[in-house]
Amino acid sequence: MNIKLLDSWVKDYLKTKASAKTIAEKLSLTSVSIERVEPFGKDFVYDIEITTNRPDLASAVSIAREAAAVLPEFGIPATFQNPKLTKPTPLKNPVPLTIKNDKTLVHRVCAVVMDVVVGKSPELIKTRLETAGIRSLNNVIDVTNYVMRTIGHPMHVFDYDRIKDHIILIRESKKGEQIVTLDKKDYELPGGDIVAEDTDGDIIDLLGIMGLENSVVTSETKRIIFFIDNVDPLRIRKTSMTLGIRTEAAQLNEKGIDPTLSMDALLLGIQLLQDHANGTVVSNIIDIYPNKPKEKNITVPERLIQSVMGVPISLKKSAEILKNLGFNVTINKETLSVIIPTSRTHDMDIPEDVVEEIARIYGYHNIPSILPQLPTASPYHKNQDQFYFENRVKEAMMYWGFTETYTYSFVSEDLYEGPLTDAITLANPLTEDMVYMRRTLIPSILQVLKENKAHDTLSLFEIANVYEKNGTNLPIETRMIAGIMRKPKASFYEMKGVVEQLLHDVGISDIRFLRRTEGLGADIKIEKENVGYIEVLDEHIVNFELNFEIILQYATLKKIYKPIAKFPPIIEDISLILPEETTTADVIEEIGKQSNLIAGVTLLDTYENTRTFHILYQHSERNLTGEEVGKIREHLIKTLKSKFKAEVK
Amino acid sequence: MEEELIGIKNAAISFIFEADSAEELEEIKLQFLGRSGKLTLTMKEMGKLPKEKRPQIGVLANEVKTTIEEALANASTRFSAHKKAVIQKKIDVTNPGIKPSLGHLHLITQAIAEITTIFEHIGFKRVRYPEIEWDHYAFTALNFPENHPARDDWETFFIDQKADAKKGQVVLTPHTSSGQIREMERMAELSKKSGEPVNIRMLNIAKTYRRQSDVSHTAMFHQFETLVVGKDISIADLKGVLDYFVKSYFGENRKSRIRPYHFQFTEPSFETDVSCGVCDGKGCKLCKEGWLELGGAGMVHPNVLRNCGLDPKVYTGFASGWGVERVLMMKEGITIDDLRLLYSNKVEFLEQF
Repeated sequence: MNIKLLDSWVKDYLKTKASAKTIAEKLSLTSVSIERVEPFGKDFVYDIEITTNRPDLASAVSIAREAAAVLPEFGIPATFQNPKLTKPTPLKNPVPLTIKNDKTLVHRVCAVVMDVVVGKSPELIKTRLETAGIRSLNNVIDVTNYVMRTIGHPMHVFDYDRIKDHIILIRESKKGEQIVTLDKKDYELPGGDIVAEDTDGDIIDLLGIMGLENSVVTSETKRIIFFIDNVDPLRIRKTSMTLGIRTEAAQLNEKGIDPTLSMDALLLGIQLLQDHANGTVVSNIIDIYPNKPKEKNITVPERLIQSVMGVPISLKKSAEILKNLGFNVTINKETLSVIIPTSRTHDMDIPEDVVEEIARIYGYHNIPSILPQLPTASPYHKNQDQFYFENRVKEAMMYWGFTETYTYSFVSEDLYEGPLTDAITLANPLTEDMVYMRRTLIPSILQVLKENKAHDTLSLFEIANVYEKNGTNLPIETRMIAGIMRKPKASFYEMKGVVEQLLHDVGISDIRFLRRTEGLGADIKIEKENVGYIEVLDEHIVNFELNFEIILQYATLKKIYKPIAKFPPIIEDISLILPEETTTADVIEEIGKQSNLIAGVTLLDTYENTRTFHILYQHSERNLTGEEVGKIREHLIKTLKSKFKAEVK
Repeated sequence: MEEELIGIKNAAISFIFEADSAEELEEIKLQFLGRSGKLTLTMKEMGKLPKEKRPQIGVLANEVKTTIEEALANASTRFSAHKKAVIQKKIDVTNPGIKPSLGHLHLITQAIAEITTIFEHIGFKRVRYPEIEWDHYAFTALNFPENHPARDDWETFFIDQKADAKKGQVVLTPHTSSGQIREMERMAELSKKSGEPVNIRMLNIAKTYRRQSDVSHTAMFHQFETLVVGKDISIADLKGVLDYFVKSYFGENRKSRIRPYHFQFTEPSFETDVSCGVCDGKGCKLCKEGWLELGGAGMVHPNVLRNCGLDPKVYTGFASGWGVERVLMMKEGITIDDLRLLYSNKVEFLEQF
C-alpha cells in the first residue's frame, strides 16, 4: 500500500536541514521506497510505498525516526524528536464505560469518553489530511485519521450516547449476521469477524475495518468514545477481503500494529480533541492489555554480517547503525546481542533479519558489484537440450509461414475436450472462461481462428503444456505442439508435409501415417509410438497436434556420413492400377523389400486409380545393366500382382 | 584440301569473333556447318581424295568442326549474358518481391530467447519445473507462514483436488520461485551422491498464474527466476548479475540499483530498479524519480536453504524473480497500454513482431 505525507508533518518530529528530495532519495535507497516527491506550495508531498513487513512505517513519526537513522550515514545531520504526550489526571466523577474484551480477537483496547463540540477542523489538519488523500469531514473524525497518520495506529470514535448502557462487548461474529456500515451499505458477515455488540445484542462496530451506521458520530454528537483497538491481523484480512471493504485502517490492521503504540495514539487523540474540538475528558482511561508482545533477543555472528554483505564491517559500526534504529545492542567478542523493539518483533526473528538492518543503512549502493565466478560447469549436451529443440522447431514453423500464439492454459467448459469428471478444475476460477486445465491445445487455437474471422488464410501454432489428472499425485504435464492451417481448399497433404519436415528437421525419419478411425485425417507414429495426429476439420481447416516430449525422445543431431554413390542409378517409373484401399505406404514398403539394389521408392503421381512410382536402382560398386534391372522389375511386378492385385499400366 | 580446311576454320573464327548478336551467330553457324555450309561441302569432297590421305584429312576436318562449334558455344554465352542485362532493363524493381512464407514468433518467445542467451553467457542453465505444484513448493518451503495473504483465494489459483497430508493443496504456480525449491532439492541430492559441493546457477522461465486481470495484469503470465547458491555468495554477487543483465538487455547506458524490500523467502530482500530510459534517470512522468522497478530479489532465506537440505552455515545464495512481460514493456518501443493484448492473439498484433 502507498501513503502520502507532507514533508512538514514529518519534520514535526525530525530536526534536519535536508530537503524533501534528499530525504526521499536517501530513504528510498536504505529504508522505505518514496516513489514520488510532489511540490505543494512551499511544502512537499511524499508518496511512500509501505511493504507488508513494515506497517510500522506508515506514519509521520516512524518516517522521521528512520530518516534520523539514515541521514547521518550520508553525512547529513538529523535528530529524531518523540511526540510529547501526557496522561490526563484521574477524575472524581467519571462517566461509566465498560468494555468486555475477547483476548483471542483483540490484543489491546485503549478508550476514553470525551465531551466534544463537533465542527470544522483547523486548516493545518485539513491540509495535512487532504494532501494525504483523506477527506476532511469534521474535527472529531479528522482527529482519528490525523492520529493514525502521525502515530501509525488506526482507531475509531463512537457516539457515547448511542451505545446502550455504555457497554461494549467484543465478540466473534456468526455467519450471516447483518450490518450497515457508516457509509450506509448493507453487508452479511462471513462469520469469525471481530465485532462489538451492545447489551441488546445489536452489532455496533466491525472492529479494525469500519464503523457502523448505528453508532457513528454525527453532527449532533455531544459525547464520544475515543476507541483504540489492536486487533488480530489474520481475521481482519479475511473479513476485509471477503466483504471487499479495503479501508486504510483495514490495510494497516491486517499487517499487524505494534500494541505499545495504542496508548500513544489515545493520548495524542485526547490532546488534539482538547485543542480542536473543545474536548474534555469525562471518563477514566481504559487500558485492557492482555497480549503484550514478548521481548526478542537475537545474537548475530560477525562472520555472517560479512558473508552476506560481501564487504568487511566492524561490530562497532554495526552496533551504531542498530542503535540509531532503536535497537538495544551489546557488543560481544565475535557477535552482537540485539534486543528487538516491540514495533519490529513481528518481522524480526533470525540473525539475517538483523544483517538486513545493518546492510541497508550501511547502504546497498556502497556494496560493490561483482559477477560471481563460474563454478566448474557441468557438461553441456546439445542433443539433450529440450530448449534447443523447442526453439529450432519454433523457428522452422515461423519460416514455413506459421504465426505463434500464446493462449491461456485454462479453458471454458465449451472449449474443454473430454468428460468434465476427468477435468483438472480450478477451485477458485477468475471467470467462466478459465475453469478447466486444458487437455489439448487445438480448441484454444481454433478459438483464435474464430476471433480472427477477417483472415481467411492463416497458419498458427503453439507449443505449451496440456494437463491430465494423476490420482492423488500432481497432474501430468505434457508439452505439445499444435498447428492449424486455414485457407481456401486446405489440404491434408500440405499439413502432412509440415509434420514430416518438422520431424525430419530434428533427425526423425521413421514416421508412419495411419488412417484415423474417426474423422478424416491420420494418426502419426514415430517407430511404434503414437505421437499425435493430423485432422481435416473441413475443407478450409486442417490441424495437427503432436506430443513434443515424445519428439524430444527421438530427436537427434547425430549425422551419419554415407559415401556418395560413384555409379549413376537407373531410374524407372512404373504405373500401377491399384485397389483404392491399398495404401501407398504399403506398396512402397513392398517394392523396397524386393531387392537391396532398390535404393529408393517414391510416389510420383496419382491419377484416378493409377499410381506412378518412381524407383531408383543403384549398385555402390559398379554400373547396373538393363538385364539386372529387368529381372528385379519382373520379380517385383509379380509380387505386386499377387499381393495387391496390382495391374501394370 | 588441308589449306582449304584451315582457311575455313580461320574465317569462321574471325566471323564469330566479330559477331555481335545471337542472330548473327546463328547465321555463321548455317554458313559453315549447315547442310550446304562451307565445311559440310568441303567434307563431302573428301571422297575424291586418295584413300591413304583420307584418315589424316578426316581427323583435321573433325578438329575444325569441333573448334568452330566450341567457338560458337563460347560466343553464345557472351550473348546470353548480354541478353539478361537487356531483360533487366524492363524490370520495375519497385514492384513487390515474391516472398517465401514467413510467420511470426510471439513477443514472449522472443523475450525468453533473449533473456536465456544473456544468462547462458555467464553460466546459467535453464530448467523447467511443474506449472501445477504442491503448496509445499509454492509456499511452505519458501518460508510462507500458514496464513500468509499470498495463499489467499483471491491471489492464488487452487486446483480442486484433495490436499496431500504433507505437501498440502495443489496450486497453479503463482511465481517461478517454486523452481528454487525443486532445484535446490535436486542439487542437494546430487551433491550427497557425488560428494561435490553444491553450486547452482539456475534460470527458471515459466508460465505463472495469479487471480487478477486488468490493463496491467493477466491471469497467466511469465517469470524468469535466477538462483545462485554456493559458498560465499553475497549481495555483491547479486549486484554483479543485476548490472550485467540490465546492461545486456536494456543497454550499456542504463544503471541499476537495489533497495530494501520484503519477501518471505529472502533475507535481506530487495527491489531492483533500472534507470529510466526516457529521461535518463532525471525523473519524468513514466518513472519514479528516474527509476523503473524491475522486480524482486534477495539473499536466499536460511529457512529456505534448510528446507531444501542445505546447511545455511555452509551455503549462501541469491535469487531474483522478474516478469518477462514487465521487462518487455520496459524495453524501448514496446509500450502496450493493455497487457491483455499479449494473450488476445489478434493477428494484427501478432504480425507486428
